[in-house]
Amino acid sequence: MIRYLLRRLLLFVPTLWAIATITFFLVRLAPGGPFNAERAIPEAARAQLARKYGLDRPLAVQYVTFLGRAARLDFGPSYEFPARPVREIIARGVRVSAELGGWALLVALLVGVPLGIVAALRQNRAADTAVMAVALAGVSVPNFVLGPLLVLIFSLGLYWLPPALWEGPQSRILPVLTLSAAYAAYVARLTRAGMLEVLRQDFIRTARAKGLPERLVVLKHALRLGLLPVVSYLGPAAAAVITGSLVVEQVFAIPGLGRYLVNGAFNRDYTLVMGVVLFYACLLLVLNLLVDLAYAWLDPRVELG
Amino acid sequence: MRWSLAWVALALAAALSGCAPRGDGVAGSSARAPRYFGSVNPPRESVLRFNNGAEPETIDPALASGQPDGRLARSLFEGLTVSDPRTLEPGPGQAARWETSRDGRLWTFHLRPGLRWSDGTPLGASDFVWSWLRALRPETASRNAGLLHAIAGAEAFNRGTATDPASVGLAAPDETTLVVRLARPVPYLLYLAAYPTWLPVPRHVVERWGDAWTRPEHIVSNGAFVLERWRPNDRLVLRRNPRYRDPARVRSERVEAYSIEDLSTATELYESGRLDWNTSGYIPSPFVPYMRRYADFRSAPFQSVYFYSLNVTRPPLDNVWVRRALNAAVDREAIALDLLRGTRQPWGRLTPQGYPGYPAPPALGYDLARAREYLARAGYPGGRGFRKISILFNTSEDNRRIAEAIQAMWTRGLGIPVELQNMEWGATLQATSSLRYDVARRSWIGDYLDPSTFLDIMRGGDGNNRTGWADARYDRLLSAAADEPDPAQRLALLARAEALLLADGPVVPVYHYFSVELVKPYVRGIWSNALDTHPLEDIWIDHGWRRPGPAGEARAHAGRAGARP
Repeated sequence: MIRYLLRRLLLFVPTLWAIATITFFLVRLAPGGPFNAERAIPEAARAQLARKYGLDRPLAVQYVTFLGRAARLDFGPSYEFPARPVREIIARGVRVSAELGGWALLVALLVGVPLGIVAALRQNRAADTAVMAVALAGVSVPNFVLGPLLVLIFSLGLYWLPPALWEGPQSRILPVLTLSAAYAAYVARLTRAGMLEVLRQDFIRTARAKGLPERLVVLKHALRLGLLPVVSYLGPAAAAVITGSLVVEQVFAIPGLGRYLVNGAFNRDYTLVMGVVLFYACLLLVLNLLVDLAYAWLDPRVELG
Repeated sequence: MRWSLAWVALALAAALSGCAPRGDGVAGSSARAPRYFGSVNPPRESVLRFNNGAEPETIDPALASGQPDGRLARSLFEGLTVSDPRTLEPGPGQAARWETSRDGRLWTFHLRPGLRWSDGTPLGASDFVWSWLRALRPETASRNAGLLHAIAGAEAFNRGTATDPASVGLAAPDETTLVVRLARPVPYLLYLAAYPTWLPVPRHVVERWGDAWTRPEHIVSNGAFVLERWRPNDRLVLRRNPRYRDPARVRSERVEAYSIEDLSTATELYESGRLDWNTSGYIPSPFVPYMRRYADFRSAPFQSVYFYSLNVTRPPLDNVWVRRALNAAVDREAIALDLLRGTRQPWGRLTPQGYPGYPAPPALGYDLARAREYLARAGYPGGRGFRKISILFNTSEDNRRIAEAIQAMWTRGLGIPVELQNMEWGATLQATSSLRYDVARRSWIGDYLDPSTFLDIMRGGDGNNRTGWADARYDRLLSAAADEPDPAQRLALLARAEALLLADGPVVPVYHYFSVELVKPYVRGIWSNALDTHPLEDIWIDHGWRRPGPAGEARAHAGRAGARP
């Protein structure tokens, strides 16, 4: 177990190096540079900025310097926001994005898992059809439609909730619902499929034959294995819910990390883009590792090694 | 994505507007009462909440370039002059009075006595000298340092060819006297003096903290407000500066400047009553025609022009007759009035309207018969033999619709093949500044109320020219105007330069922008003006706006008169 963990952690290094290298050269391939703007910048000023950020040095030197700094988690100041180090931007942004994503994931599980169980137990009956219809809708309605729709009803129609901004518990409700809808729907479908498969297996028949109450059969024996697909989905989902909240952050004016990545790319803010991309990469690696560990814990047939 | 989103919201708003409660948007019950867009309940405190737009990149006055940055810089720092919120006429700011020499090249500013920074440090003439030299130093890398080039020796110092600060025409014989020697007479100097690049910065803070001096925990300012809090991508909170030269002049205790980029979101926050002012440009353009029915919607000509630039280094656009043909074949009215539903004004000049005393040359007009004649004269009768040209625009729904309309006008009207090419913003900038395009969509916003803020960009070799067009006669006219001490003569020279520019056709003006903003009826002190500049210290919340009595605006004026020095 410990050896497995160590090996996985060691594998992070080449992966991150590859991602850092690809991103480093990719952002520099994009046309234009960080200091282009509608209003032309005087040549002397441009040269000065290039010197300040080391962009006047050969690319190889820039690359080595960047790798050395990145290893110490130092990405330097953002080009666009000179008063803010990239590390601080990420730290501030991720706190908000993680809270938004965390709540959304929690809601998705609290809604999706029970609905999936109900649908599996009532297979091909009205409850099942209803749950799966709602789930289909949840997966198909994009969040840039759902968000404004919720705002229109609950903020501008009923005046119950604020239409945007990140302040106070009330402001969390609409963005969390918007972000969680698609995940809740998907979790419900996965739970249903997983439960249906498990419920047909021999050990469940044995449990029922022993005379265990149905509630125990479902919650104690079936659920543990039935949830496996959901667990393996949780890793990518957790990463996606944090990284993929971009649209929701935009629609609800939430100061999360997603907006920085997109604006950073548009503005050729190399340091910011590099920092955010590497941060996302780390996040994804760690979450995948956690999923694998959880898998081993849930399914006795899985062995780590 | 932004547009599809806006359309969804608009469609839903239209569907729901019949049944959904609209707060107390309709004040009173009389049928003639004005209709407002959403809630009209003022905030309880003396706080102004507005959308400042994109997240400010910096609030350092020397570096601020965008409108969101500039608006905050001007609220935190005060220059020698301040702009009147109605007329933009410069009035005394940190300077109480000034004199100018007969030839207009020597200015003496007398600062108010006892000026202080918000931390109590005294502020004097030497602070202005230091701040301007800082903005000019190449190390500072200020984009707008060119606005200081009016000062004698400033341009050479800025380019790094002169390194001695004494070579710049600035002197502070004592802390209340500032002497500025100009390279040439600048009739709009007092307007410039209120511009961000001309604002003073606290030397003791800048030297101590470097780039981090603008952070809320370090910053010290001399303007109407001090920075209390900065939550990136969310808001900046400003508070009245108790050490401001005249604190009573500042009408709001607190200002919350939100950084909301999404147009629909900003408009929704305004509708729900969480913003008192949705600044210009933050209403989704499909909404604008529907907003006209509301009394809190405001629109006025704004000094910005949308134009196409032609790359004259690429044949056949190097031929003046081709450029004239392209210009004459554009039906500007069809674009501004029909396609954009009157939210823009058809425009046939590079300089916008509203420059006092400017004898603007005749505008370019639509004349298809003449356009065909020009094209024949260029050697392409009926468009025969004309190579395919491409229209480059940065990706946006409106840009695409306009490009399609112009493509149709040129293809159908002149018979020349035209293709469209859209790129993301950074790539568009790169293509235009390196002259890798045929025809490109551009726009320009003026910095001050003078035609030179537009005409200067077309000087040969200017970084903003981006057409490859250079005409010695044009440059000579601009230089002659710059040295002309008589204001009327000067404007006449500029008008001749613009006439020459329009006749030569490196640019195809399309339309003139309007500012479009939403201002709650209880907000006072915002007047539409050509620069779309609204000093925050003049804006306040009128909690008694519903009370009968003198009309709100009249009350606002009375309030201002008492507060103005």
